[in-house]
Amino acid sequence: MEGEEFDRLLKISRIKLDEKEKQSIKRDIENILEYFDSVNKFDESKNKLAFHSVEINGEPRKDEVEKFEDRDELLSNTKTYRGFVVGPKI
Amino acid sequence: MSSYIHEFESKVKPKDYYDKVYEELSKVNSRLNAFNVIIKPEQDGVPLSIKDNICVKGVESTASSKILRGYIPPFNATVVDRIFKTKRFSFLGKTNMDEFGFGSFGINCSKPARNPLDEDRVAGGSSSGAAIATALLKYHVAIAESTGGSISSPAAFCGVIGFTPTYSVISRYGLIDYANSLDKIGVMARSADDIRIMLDITKGKDPRDPTSTNTKITDLHHKKLVVIDELLDKVDDKIMSQFNMFIDKLKGLGYTVENISLKEIELSIPAYYLIAMAEASTNLAKFTGFKYGFKAEDFSKPYNDFFTEAREEFGTEAKRRIILGTFIRSASVRDKYYSKSLIIRGELIDRLSKILKDAFIISPTMPILPPKISEADSMSPVQNYAADILTIPANLCGLPHISFPYSYSGSLPLSAQIVGSQFNDYGVISFASEWEKNFKYKFKYNIGEI
Repeated sequence: MEGEEFDRLLKISRIKLDEKEKQSIKRDIENILEYFDSVNKFDESKNKLAFHSVEINGEPRKDEVEKFEDRDELLSNTKTYRGFVVGPKI
Repeated sequence: MSSYIHEFESKVKPKDYYDKVYEELSKVNSRLNAFNVIIKPEQDGVPLSIKDNICVKGVESTASSKILRGYIPPFNATVVDRIFKTKRFSFLGKTNMDEFGFGSFGINCSKPARNPLDEDRVAGGSSSGAAIATALLKYHVAIAESTGGSISSPAAFCGVIGFTPTYSVISRYGLIDYANSLDKIGVMARSADDIRIMLDITKGKDPRDPTSTNTKITDLHHKKLVVIDELLDKVDDKIMSQFNMFIDKLKGLGYTVENISLKEIELSIPAYYLIAMAEASTNLAKFTGFKYGFKAEDFSKPYNDFFTEAREEFGTEAKRRIILGTFIRSASVRDKYYSKSLIIRGELIDRLSKILKDAFIISPTMPILPPKISEADSMSPVQNYAADILTIPANLCGLPHISFPYSYSGSLPLSAQIVGSQFNDYGVISFASEWEKNFKYKFKYNIGEI
């Protein structure tokens, strides 16, 4: 993986690394991808993509509004302002 | 031993029983790092620990990650609710683990776990704390979780029984996800009968987890055992000679053993890691720095900068997996890596299911004895991933499996793993129950003995 390509990957991954970490993780990733390339030796299957290992009905539960008993507790893991969650600018 | 749960429930406990357990456990924990949080129980039940990536209402749940420090779930995971409803258990605390489950040795976290049988060695991972707690406490069950071997590996290294159910049998609601299509909540205990009790309590469809199922669980006992030769290629010679003696013992107990070749099994490691990393990189995107745990302070920053800053809290292995997962999902290589891995999973499920129709697959649980912490620290990521060769196929294919000790090398246990067909969960537990009739497990600690 070229340096520029790796920098672009870091940007879209939203991961910031210092120079030392960057060199070591880049080297690791190259080795891991070389190892992962072995999956391409396999091309004789007619199988479909197995998104799950068992047959899943996948039917979602009914979309019903439920009252959460303790609203304050639910929001206790966030910073709030007048009952709204405070977040960064979009 | 049939059931420590039943034995505990039939005994009269001294008044200060839990005070003593709490005191002794806290002391040992300061060396071994089994628990992230220890709680002095209030009820008079069987001590229960829960892995730190499973939510317990009102108790800090961090998955051993700095990015989740301070996160207090306002709800219980379904598995926790089901156990608490029985009123038979006393919650003892949250157990340590590799951050988000990213590791096989229990060292990818701020407080590396130590093996109670040899404190210079790893305890296995990622459910390191669950295995240590089970090895320490005479009466106790641990709720753990496995994605690629996170129950079997530490159970084997610490000499306890580790059970991973068929994917979908135990609800994942309230689990801090690593990889949704691979994560399975399971159990560790000191006897197979205790594992059966916990499966009875926790199994079944949950409306809050659309991937959970109500499929009937079977208890098929097979007398045929299959050994896959390619799985044994990487096993340490010392372990192999002991494993061969174990196989001879099983033959003496009436089992037949057949060796087969399945070359494609070696692809299960890269296929597993490709799927796991792709899924992990999306799951970890919810830790934005303002909703759970760690809070970045400067809200004036643009969103992407704020988000990037929050993600500096992840450990090195988590960062590595986010970067790789993001790459694997990119349009230019998705078919080459991710889609190919899903096809390999389908193919392996077909092939293993045929083998498992009238047999169990047997192997050692781990290819090596627990390495020293310093040795594990210096292993490369590829060496780390390769150590999972024996536990990954069953996990990738959602097959139930159980790990249990069959011998000892000095103070260290040697464990084997039995894999069954999908939904033959009781079958693999029964195999371990049968084995326990012929073999006495050794435990160095018996905290809470009455």
